[in-house]
Amino acid sequence: MRKGYRPIISVVVLVMLSSLLLAGCWDRVEVNDRALVLAFAIDKEEDDRYRMTIQVPLVSSLGGPSGGGGGTSGDKSYYVDSATGRTLREASSVLQARMSRQLFFAHHRVIVIGEETARSGLRTILDIIARFPENRLTAYIVMAQGKGAELLEAQPQLERFSAEAMRELINMHGVAIKVKDLAQMLNTPGIDAHLPVMAAVESHPKGKTKEIQVVGSAVFVNDRPVHRIKREQANSLRWFQPAFQPFSITLPIEKNKNVSLDIHHGSADIKPIPKKDRMHYRINLQAKGTIIEDHSGIDWGDPGNIRMLETMLGRKLSKDIREMLSEVVNRQGSDPVGLGLALARKRPNLWKEKYRDRWSEHLKDVTFEINARVLIPSNGQTTENLTEEEKR
Amino acid sequence: MKVQRKSKKDEMLEIINEKSVSELESFSIRPSLRENVEIIKHLFQDCSDFVVREFQLKNSVHGCAIFVDGLIDTKQVNEALESLMIEKGGADDVQVIESEILPVSQITQVTNYKDLLMAVLSGDTGILIEGNSIALTLGIRGAEKRSVNEPEGESVVRGPREGFIENIRTNTSLLRRRLKTPRLKMKSVVVGKQTNTNIVVAFMDGIVDPEVRDEVLARIEKINIDAVLESGYIEEMIQDNTYSPFPQVQYSERPDTVAAALLEGRVAVFVDGTPMVLIVPTTFWMMMQANEDYYERFQMATLIRWLRYLFLVVSLLTPAGYVAVTTFHPEMLPTTLLLSIAAAREAIPFPAVVEALIMEISFEALREAGIRLPKTVGQAVSILGALVVGQAAVQAGIVSAPMVIVVSITGIASFTVPHFNASIALRMLRFPLMFAASFLGIYGILIGIVLIMGHMANLRSFGVPYLSPLAPMSVGDFKDVLIRTPWPHLKQRPGFMGTQDVKRMDTLSVDQSKKEH
Repeated sequence: MRKGYRPIISVVVLVMLSSLLLAGCWDRVEVNDRALVLAFAIDKEEDDRYRMTIQVPLVSSLGGPSGGGGGTSGDKSYYVDSATGRTLREASSVLQARMSRQLFFAHHRVIVIGEETARSGLRTILDIIARFPENRLTAYIVMAQGKGAELLEAQPQLERFSAEAMRELINMHGVAIKVKDLAQMLNTPGIDAHLPVMAAVESHPKGKTKEIQVVGSAVFVNDRPVHRIKREQANSLRWFQPAFQPFSITLPIEKNKNVSLDIHHGSADIKPIPKKDRMHYRINLQAKGTIIEDHSGIDWGDPGNIRMLETMLGRKLSKDIREMLSEVVNRQGSDPVGLGLALARKRPNLWKEKYRDRWSEHLKDVTFEINARVLIPSNGQTTENLTEEEKR
Repeated sequence: MKVQRKSKKDEMLEIINEKSVSELESFSIRPSLRENVEIIKHLFQDCSDFVVREFQLKNSVHGCAIFVDGLIDTKQVNEALESLMIEKGGADDVQVIESEILPVSQITQVTNYKDLLMAVLSGDTGILIEGNSIALTLGIRGAEKRSVNEPEGESVVRGPREGFIENIRTNTSLLRRRLKTPRLKMKSVVVGKQTNTNIVVAFMDGIVDPEVRDEVLARIEKINIDAVLESGYIEEMIQDNTYSPFPQVQYSERPDTVAAALLEGRVAVFVDGTPMVLIVPTTFWMMMQANEDYYERFQMATLIRWLRYLFLVVSLLTPAGYVAVTTFHPEMLPTTLLLSIAAAREAIPFPAVVEALIMEISFEALREAGIRLPKTVGQAVSILGALVVGQAAVQAGIVSAPMVIVVSITGIASFTVPHFNASIALRMLRFPLMFAASFLGIYGILIGIVLIMGHMANLRSFGVPYLSPLAPMSVGDFKDVLIRTPWPHLKQRPGFMGTQDVKRMDTLSVDQSKKEH
């Protein structure tokens, strides 16, 4: 029996000895020793230094069990701090120097890029985001109107953190851009980047704090923003996203008689048609909508009326897209919808030989033709206004 | 001359005294009754329950009955003695007495003291007649025993309610009632120098792998121990790996489970004095199967089996996983969940490992207290336990609420393993995994799992690999592991058992015969 114990004892001793060697070099950090960065903003100072602003939740004020607990500052459930540095990493180590908990970036959901920073180019910023392993390529990236720090300081009423609010808003805005999407748009010839732009605005009626609002989309040439599309116009960008996000549109039928429609299905097919001196694009639009509000009093039970509405909606959608494209593509030379990409896929040789190297210049001559096929299969819950007298 | 003889006898008595009953084979029964009685009385000095009843047969030949009071059926022994002494008793030859006089169904002739005393100590009545060197043992037993009850350790919703008891004969009869075939063999072995415990090795001849059968018998016969008070003694003496946390022997107190095991080509070991019957060889997957799986609808049984597999992993890994994820890899958690955990842990003074250890250990203590204490105290324990482990510890800020959830899920999960000894293994292995997780995170858990898997793959139970049919892979036997195949399609016995007769049923299935009508 004695002999049988020997291998076990030696294994136990070996494990104990080797665990002594491991002491001190583990990277175990308890969750209450970490500061979870929910969002950070990158701004550029006048002296060309970066200002990094972080948003960290105050975990103790999130409602743990009673008893004990760290200090809280006011009624806010988060804490915003910023520091400057020649690189972002330098700025974050300054922040760490006055932070009793270890900064932990793996949970940030939103990266806010200040307007100034974006002007000086996105590529250098994206380097730190991709190089540092804690950062996630699936975080959303937005551009701020003005300073990025302001977005982090805003306290939206519906969410505990503005980071959370931004994330939800981006999703609803329909053109959500993640870090990896941005990187892909930047490194793919034939498509230019675009980012949602957000601003901290006063709510109405005026509250104590600011709310966060989507104000449009910024379109880029190379890695610098050249133009901002307004929010309503930015809806036209949705057609060209991989997954269509529903939105609503208001259509004037006659003077002061409007119909609001919800467009819940949509897709756009881009067909490049090479002409002698320029590129021509045929964009086939397919949309499905539902009437959600009617001020016209027209009987939508009549298929003829519906057909009329479909034509009007198609015309309106085409017009909006044409306006957006002529502004962004023809005037600014930016290609956020991937016109070049469509050409490169259909006619790779033509793309390589003629257009690829000076695509931005060629964009100014591009012409469009938009065919919209709109269906309104449903006219809402009622065909007529409920209060309308019944015809007998 | 007389002095010499006396000293020789004394010498012999001394030798007999030093030996245990099973070693008395070489001492044959004397023709002289007086000498026999002297030896027996000497042996059973100060045994107040041992009775030596001397009597005379009708023809004045002396005889003597020996028995242990309480082990015999007094009424029937009286009747037997009556027929010896009064009614027909004229013969003085044991052969005649056995064949003509004693109306007892079980009579055995014995020629040496080992057989005689073993029988008497087991509850038989010994009859010695003057002038005969052969004694008779009458199998009239009447010891107190528990009635056959529903087994408390393995209760079922659907299935027989009979369970084994402490009497080995009753137990073998319960098995025989289910397997009415001469192929059911029961070999008897006696183990234990002092306890002389009866052990019956049961198997199905023609199904069992002869090598396994011989190995079991050989291992049991080799046991040299003074006492066998429970089947656990035998289990530890015959299992392949003493130091493994995994049970390599299954036990059951249900006759239906044992019968089913024998039909799979396994061997059952009955031990007198305990309702637990050992079943070998055992594989890991058998520990995940309950008898009710085969009585309920197969869909349900399959579902439950997968539930068990899932909770097997849960019971083994949840505390370790919690420690690893929260302290090493918080990026794996959804942000909101991490924030909740962080909020709950905010006021906790201990690292997550210590917290987990406190909770797991107090949970184990509570369970132990609940099992061992009298039932009347048990209720108080459970109330106190629920309060202390649950609410109070959280409110006092000693442990966090998520940890309470982790520990309760682990506790519940460990109860889903149908065999208690298998869940013990998992409960024990949880702790080293927790330590590994606290040193190295998920990497540590993986190292632990690899070690455990390696060990399991290395284990054998009577020559059958512990992980079979998974490793070594035999796809055909997955029919009863991944799913519980409905009976009409479960035509084969498990192949990895090396059974002689693989066929459970003929190729014509029930479904086919139904179609023909």
